[in-house]
Amino acid sequence: MAGRTQGFAPLAAGLIGIAAFVLIVVGPPGSRKPAPPPPVSAGPPPSSVSANGFTLTSATMDLPADDATYPDGPNADLVNARCSACHSPSMVLTQPAFPAEKWQEIVLKMRDVYHAPIAEQDIAPITQYLAARPVAD
Amino acid sequence: MDYLDERAALAVSRRRLLKAAAVGAGALATPVLAQALADLRLPGGPSRRPLASGFPGKGEMIVQRVRPPLLETPFSVFDRDVFTPADQFFVRWHWADMPTSIDVESFRLTVRGAVRQPISISLAQLLHMPRVEIAAVNQCSGNSRGLFQPRVPGAQWAHGAMGNARWLGVSLRHVLDLAGVRGDAVAVRFGGLDQPLVAGAPDFEKSLVIEHARDGEVMLAFAMNGEQLPMLNGFPLRLVVPGWYSTYWVKMLNDIEVLAAPDDRYWMEKAYKIPTTPGANVVPGAKGFPTVPIGAMVPRSWVTSLGEGQEIAFEPSIPLGGIAMGGDHGVARVDVSSDGGHSWRPATLGPDHGKYSFRRWDARVPLARPGRIRLMARCTSTAGVTQPMAPVWNPSGFMRANVEVTTILATR
Repeated sequence: MAGRTQGFAPLAAGLIGIAAFVLIVVGPPGSRKPAPPPPVSAGPPPSSVSANGFTLTSATMDLPADDATYPDGPNADLVNARCSACHSPSMVLTQPAFPAEKWQEIVLKMRDVYHAPIAEQDIAPITQYLAARPVAD
Repeated sequence: MDYLDERAALAVSRRRLLKAAAVGAGALATPVLAQALADLRLPGGPSRRPLASGFPGKGEMIVQRVRPPLLETPFSVFDRDVFTPADQFFVRWHWADMPTSIDVESFRLTVRGAVRQPISISLAQLLHMPRVEIAAVNQCSGNSRGLFQPRVPGAQWAHGAMGNARWLGVSLRHVLDLAGVRGDAVAVRFGGLDQPLVAGAPDFEKSLVIEHARDGEVMLAFAMNGEQLPMLNGFPLRLVVPGWYSTYWVKMLNDIEVLAAPDDRYWMEKAYKIPTTPGANVVPGAKGFPTVPIGAMVPRSWVTSLGEGQEIAFEPSIPLGGIAMGGDHGVARVDVSSDGGHSWRPATLGPDHGKYSFRRWDARVPLARPGRIRLMARCTSTAGVTQPMAPVWNPSGFMRANVEVTTILATR
């Protein structure tokens, strides 16, 4: 596997994405004190509809942020630019090792089926990055 | 910034702006608190995933992907109850553009297409309709994909892309009859409120043939386990297709289109297709084989009372427990083995919550000697289908259903 990791930061590079995720979400020391009380809502309570003993109440959700990026390596900037719009890097960083031909198939599917903004000249460098990505146990 | 950069940036930023405008400051994203790492023990790795609470409506989940969320149920949850709590029920979205706010007064479900009278149904109207409740397992087509060998691309799930709930709602047939299905109808297509982030990409839609859609069991659920659905599980309505894989259980369902011709769009024609062979099994690397859309589930079972790699004190016999499902039929029996599958003995089945539900099983098994013990459970459905020992392989990682092995260590 050593040959496949050349050009990457050694050892833990494959885990950087996940580690970065954990750091981002846990935050620096001192940031885990109790959250300040939520601002007093000025609006009315959420609307609801009821019938025959069941009530449905309007809902909102705050989806978590994900600022994780792809680990450093040749073409990482390109991968960050092209492969982060529709999904988090965790989609890629949880994949096992695949040969370059398999990764190229996946990159082409992302472009042709899911309309990822990948130009013809991007295909080879993105594929290279994905195939050389170290995979942790 | 070249043309492609610009296109991507515009596509994404426009959506974000629209969303921010729609829900105001409430749309500001909050961080997830990662508490620990889960080790999924996938062959060849990577196996570690963050365990985190903080996704809306969710307790502790295995984070497979943050955006759009892929959240797996920690396996220990399945030992606690045959019904999976909503806040630990698995989550799987295809597209990241989903509403972050649903108003129950203005939400409408439309029924259109090959019908006598297109209709638009409010949630208040739906709550007045006759109700059905069914206990059913909702399992991702790719549940356990991460265990395929050779490995295949896709969400690298262990066994937790599944859950069992009591679904409460209205029969799809009732709603279709309100609109009046025309004689030329052949299928029904379902769409939700989620959308692709990139223009031109295929919106997620699934369809069922008309006979299936009108079988009286397929339903529009507004509640699971007695409560309204978490948003990430499809609030306010999701399709429930008992006995079939989760890909059909469309979330945030707001559009039902009756079709006069078979559905030839991407998510039926190209995606979620399986080989026509028994068990959807082909030789690794095979290509060009005939395929059909994935459909009914098959029997599966798991040991849940002991975990992979767990150490216990040796005793001549130990209690063993777990869950089983019959797929699109009930669970007829579960047999267990504590000697790697050489000998089997029947387990005692727990309460029957209906043929589509998980069923608890319990047994006592002998341990021959201290050391590594390979524990197995094997389900036979009421259709007479027994789980095979050998895993299947197909390029999408669908329909894993072989007898699973839990290896424990019994020490003196």
